[in-house]
Amino acid sequence: MKSIFQFDNIMTSIEVTRLFKTFQTKRKSAGLAASARALFKPKYSTVEAVRGISFRMEEGELLGFIGPNGAGKSTTIKMLTGILHPSAGEANVLGFTPWKDRQKLAFHIGTVFGQRPQLWYHLPAIDTFMLFGKIYELDEAETQKRVDFLAEAFEIRDLLETPVRKLSLGQRMRCEVAASLLHRPKLLLLDEPSIGLDVVAKQHIRDAIRRMNQEEGVGVLLTSHDAGDLEALCKRVIIVNHGQIVYEDKVSNLKRKHLTSKLVEVRYAEEVPAGFHIDGVDVLKVGRYGVKLRFDTNKTAVDSVMSHLSEVGDLVDITISDPPLEDVIAKIYKEAAPA
Amino acid sequence: MKTLKFLFALWKANLQAAMEFRAAFITQIIFMIVNNGVYFIFWVLYFDKFGNVRGWTVNDMMLLFGIAATAWGASAYFFGNFTTLGEIIANGRLDYYLSLPKPILLHVLASKSIGSGMGDILYGVASFAISGYFTWDGFLRFFLGVTAGVCIFISFLTIIQSLSFWIGNTVALSQVALSAVLTFSLYPSALFNTTTKFILLTILPAALVGNVPAEFVRSFSWTSLLQITAGAVVFLVFAMIIFRSGLRRYESGSAIQVEV
Repeated sequence: MKSIFQFDNIMTSIEVTRLFKTFQTKRKSAGLAASARALFKPKYSTVEAVRGISFRMEEGELLGFIGPNGAGKSTTIKMLTGILHPSAGEANVLGFTPWKDRQKLAFHIGTVFGQRPQLWYHLPAIDTFMLFGKIYELDEAETQKRVDFLAEAFEIRDLLETPVRKLSLGQRMRCEVAASLLHRPKLLLLDEPSIGLDVVAKQHIRDAIRRMNQEEGVGVLLTSHDAGDLEALCKRVIIVNHGQIVYEDKVSNLKRKHLTSKLVEVRYAEEVPAGFHIDGVDVLKVGRYGVKLRFDTNKTAVDSVMSHLSEVGDLVDITISDPPLEDVIAKIYKEAAPA
Repeated sequence: MKTLKFLFALWKANLQAAMEFRAAFITQIIFMIVNNGVYFIFWVLYFDKFGNVRGWTVNDMMLLFGIAATAWGASAYFFGNFTTLGEIIANGRLDYYLSLPKPILLHVLASKSIGSGMGDILYGVASFAISGYFTWDGFLRFFLGVTAGVCIFISFLTIIQSLSFWIGNTVALSQVALSAVLTFSLYPSALFNTTTKFILLTILPAALVGNVPAEFVRSFSWTSLLQITAGAVVFLVFAMIIFRSGLRRYESGSAIQVEV
């Protein structure tokens, strides 16, 4: 049996080379006359959903694949699971070509599409788990043992016997991700798993995924347009926009290179003097006892800002924070956008 | 063997899902039996007035109706997505099946059960039992004829609906095809001329789910056996080839999908 394949002594689970996917989309102007014209002489335009994407993912890696709506994330994931055939290019997932070896590959990967539930809607989740046991050719005892483990890991034991239609979205998603891990896949492909979830539900899902990565070494390729998923889970990030990779690096490097501006909020014991000003620092807001500032650490030294702030008066409280990662990513999208 | 286990697991899940709404499930079955009974009353009244039609009696009609209803009911009950495959393709809802390690066409077709199909099965078997043609070896031929009928019903509609990969929505087309094949399967072949009979054995295989199996049940003949088995195999293979080649053109979609 083929399994993880190896490049340069690094165990690789996904290798994608110059992958393209184009769709033919029918176009029609508004109105009945245009509909009649389109009936006899339809017009089509070509949409390039994925344009020459190449990347590699290591075994057990937590890789974020993020981008705005329509960036090509889901199309890429669908090609990597064998759902779609690419227009051009190559991909190797766990030693298989997904669109040629779809069935064999499916035994080794788990997939979750946030908008495409796989649990049977009218049945309790346990029934879908048992059905999946048969689909993945596990015996009943093995399935039951695995369900017990996943029920504990995802904290879903009390939910398993409730019809899925009666679960909250967060509860259902926990069951969805757990179901995708029933057959001990080596790789989990998650397409927008946190879409529509509240903060607590997102945290539950993220904790469980992280645990499965640590305990079972499951590699995770996660698409999301939620930067929180990326910060909480991923070690490395690929940012796509308009079907192309616009950024690829470690999340820590992304933060170091792009999170250079700092937000500072200061509170003084006495009133802030009139005409408050520090060279190289944007003063965002001046209140009676406090100020809010922003500065770029590449242009203005942190030491210098801090000493200026303490010279103004007695500090009661100070908060230094990074701008939201979402802002950084949005900036990268903009920089990469075609003119 | 693995495929059979998988099929049984799917059918079990379908039954479990139906049992979640027991009253609706049982009502569907009862109403379908009543519906078929009321429809057949017209044939009873017709034969009561005219005696026979070119040698066909009401007992022959019971046998024909029994085979066609059982084949239709078994298709609907065990392979319920055979009437909605086109919609599933056009709306990009094959993703779920494509992400699981099982034969895609079989998985899609057997993932839904139409409860009323069980009503057709019960009515069809009863109709055969009281038709006057019931014998135990005749029952084996009935079973074979129904199995071939199921293959032809689902293959014929799979072929029509696989066109969705090329032309998009085939809902209207498949409804016309479904209605045509079902209607013609319920009429005695004695009514048709040679050309029509040829069409009903090939392009619109209604005779292969009605008249030919009925003749086979009445008395064994190698010609009938060859016609129904060859018909079933050819349609099945053709359906698989068309579906498989269409799958390469599948475009998925972003519609929200729920497995029920």
